[in-house]
Amino acid sequence: MRPSTGLLMTLMILSMLGGAVAHTVLIKRGEQAENLQILQGVVASLGLSDLALSTEARYTRHPAVSDPVVVSMDHPGAIDHFPSTFFWAPVARP
Amino acid sequence: MTGNRLGRLLNILDYALSSLGRKSLKNGGVFIIFTLVVFLFASFQLVSRALTEAAQTVLATAPDITVQQMSAGRQVSIASSAKIPLAPIFGIKKIEERIWGYYFDESNGANYTIIGLPARAGDSGGTQLFGLAEGRLPVASERGQVAISDNVRRQLQLGNRKHFSLFRPDLSQASFATVGLFAPKTEILTADLMVMNLADARDLFAIADGFVTDLLVSVANPNEIETIARKISEKLPGSRVITRNQILKTYKVVFNRRSGLGTVCLLTALAAFVILAWDKASGLSREERKEVAILKILGWQTSDIMLLRFCESLSLSLLAFISGYLLAWVHVVFWGGALFRPIFLGWSVIRPVFSLAPPLAASDLLLVFSLSVVPYLCATAVPAWRAATVRADSVI
Amino acid sequence: MMPDNLVELQAVTKIYNQGQANEVIALKQVSFTVARNEMVCVQGPSGSGKTTLLSLIGCIFAPTSGRATIGGKKISRLPDHFLTRYRRELTGFVFQHYNMLDHLTVLENITLPLLPLGISPGDRVRKADRLLEKFGLSHRRNFSVTQLSGGELQRVAIARALINDPPIIVADEPTAHLDGKLSREVVDMLASLRDEGRTVVIASHDPIVSAHPAMARIIEVRDGIILHQLSGR
Repeated sequence: MRPSTGLLMTLMILSMLGGAVAHTVLIKRGEQAENLQILQGVVASLGLSDLALSTEARYTRHPAVSDPVVVSMDHPGAIDHFPSTFFWAPVARP
Repeated sequence: MTGNRLGRLLNILDYALSSLGRKSLKNGGVFIIFTLVVFLFASFQLVSRALTEAAQTVLATAPDITVQQMSAGRQVSIASSAKIPLAPIFGIKKIEERIWGYYFDESNGANYTIIGLPARAGDSGGTQLFGLAEGRLPVASERGQVAISDNVRRQLQLGNRKHFSLFRPDLSQASFATVGLFAPKTEILTADLMVMNLADARDLFAIADGFVTDLLVSVANPNEIETIARKISEKLPGSRVITRNQILKTYKVVFNRRSGLGTVCLLTALAAFVILAWDKASGLSREERKEVAILKILGWQTSDIMLLRFCESLSLSLLAFISGYLLAWVHVVFWGGALFRPIFLGWSVIRPVFSLAPPLAASDLLLVFSLSVVPYLCATAVPAWRAATVRADSVI
Repeated sequence: MMPDNLVELQAVTKIYNQGQANEVIALKQVSFTVARNEMVCVQGPSGSGKTTLLSLIGCIFAPTSGRATIGGKKISRLPDHFLTRYRRELTGFVFQHYNMLDHLTVLENITLPLLPLGISPGDRVRKADRLLEKFGLSHRRNFSVTQLSGGELQRVAIARALINDPPIIVADEPTAHLDGKLSREVVDMLASLRDEGRTVVIASHDPIVSAHPAMARIIEVRDGIILHQLSGR
């Protein structure tokens, strides 16, 4: 087999895998869409403002409603909560 | 002629692939690093994209306006009486009082979020079944009821028991009965929640009568939210007024490339490419020079050598890009971003279970492509040109 | 249609690194011709300009001044692109040091000139096999060139020079690394190419080459000029 044919076949296999992944993602997103409606209902009925992802610090649990200086809440000059704030960008206030 | 051109391309591609294979150790290393960089960067991007999208959709029903009291740069309780000056503002449909806060469980280090539901007119609790797997929400008329998530139930080690107690600030105990359980698929919102009625929350946190954590303002016309928010902040000096738009805006930027991890991913990618480019650009080896000169004497044009180098770089970077990108999708969608979870959940004791399904966006793909394949091709273009212009007579 | 004189040089000068401190005048006002179907030998000590002369004939570069017409194409002052094309179509080059790519097999080395022409692998192998058979190398076809002896390598090099079926064969010291018997074999082989109707130009100081019965002329080059031309036997 020519190497170029091999490359072409590899690319084809990879794009087939890509298609399979995309297909699964679309199915998953379909399932998620239903769940999102339920979640919207939860937000509306409980008056929530934030996602419950990281419960380790106030500005990762409630970034939307915690006050602008919340990072220095613990005491002024407190160091970031590594590692979660490594992922969460500092909240920009308008 | 077209056949010849295709033939030329295929022949040179064959030659390029064989020479890639010949230096398999070096090119294998480049391939692995390239794949890893694309994988990391794309995974990060897909996780943040999925979370951002989920937040934007889910929080579209967040309260129109949240009013908090600030003091010394901190949020403090707000007086219920603050409702009075707001009442005349035209366009406000409803103002609800809410108490919420954190409860730190010393026995296991978990941090629960406690929400004291505003009492609602005609509140029956049982009619609001949104997201509850079983039971109902607590009602205003009965004390000592909570709805919790399955995750919280596990943290409290409740098993089949319904009753548990929490400590007030004075260390006296308040008992609660579980009347509702949130469905596991709502964990992205409810993982750490304990929902009770306003009176119980006030009692648990020992918040004085006449004070609440914040006021939730509903507005009749969504177009007027910003106007009404401005009016509220004028009427209540020292308050902080958060609109739904601000909440959504927060979640637009909170997971992005400017965070530490995003920066690290980007810097890794950049460093990798600088090293690769430097390696490639740092001069042609005698072997390479000889090979190019021989090929040229045998009738290869400068453009043929350029094509050869381009085929090498493109096939290597394209294969690595596609593999890395596919792996990133598998990582995010099938393994739930397992590599990043420990980072963005941090030291949290309560770890929500949720699945990530980012949208299939061509723009995301193009971004990663333009930050990986394109710089690699650019980095290899100059050395390719230098190689291609080796003179044919340099071997004679 | 090929002209009668496949190689025509008129007052050709070649200067390396022109205008720089290390300027070297390799050829000075050289004029000579080689007819179709002629085999000539260029002799001279090293540094005399014979390799430069051969490179000009092999279309590897254009002269600094003067007229060089190879196979009827005027190659003076041509851009590299055309020079490469003429090199491909008109000449086959055989080197003193073989100039093989060590990582490739015999077959792959021979077919290298065909790759940019877009010739399919099947056709490439067919062409190469014909030449390998002709030079008695079929059994070495898939060997790495590093496994071959000097005599075999030079035969591979001749086969490679012939793959595009060029009218002119240029050989630079083809027998330098070979013993007497092998040298004679190689010259015989080159002479047989002349018999097929090709023009053969060999640079060599090896008497086995210059004394070969097929040699029409011997051209003596020294310090960039042609000292004299002798007709062969």
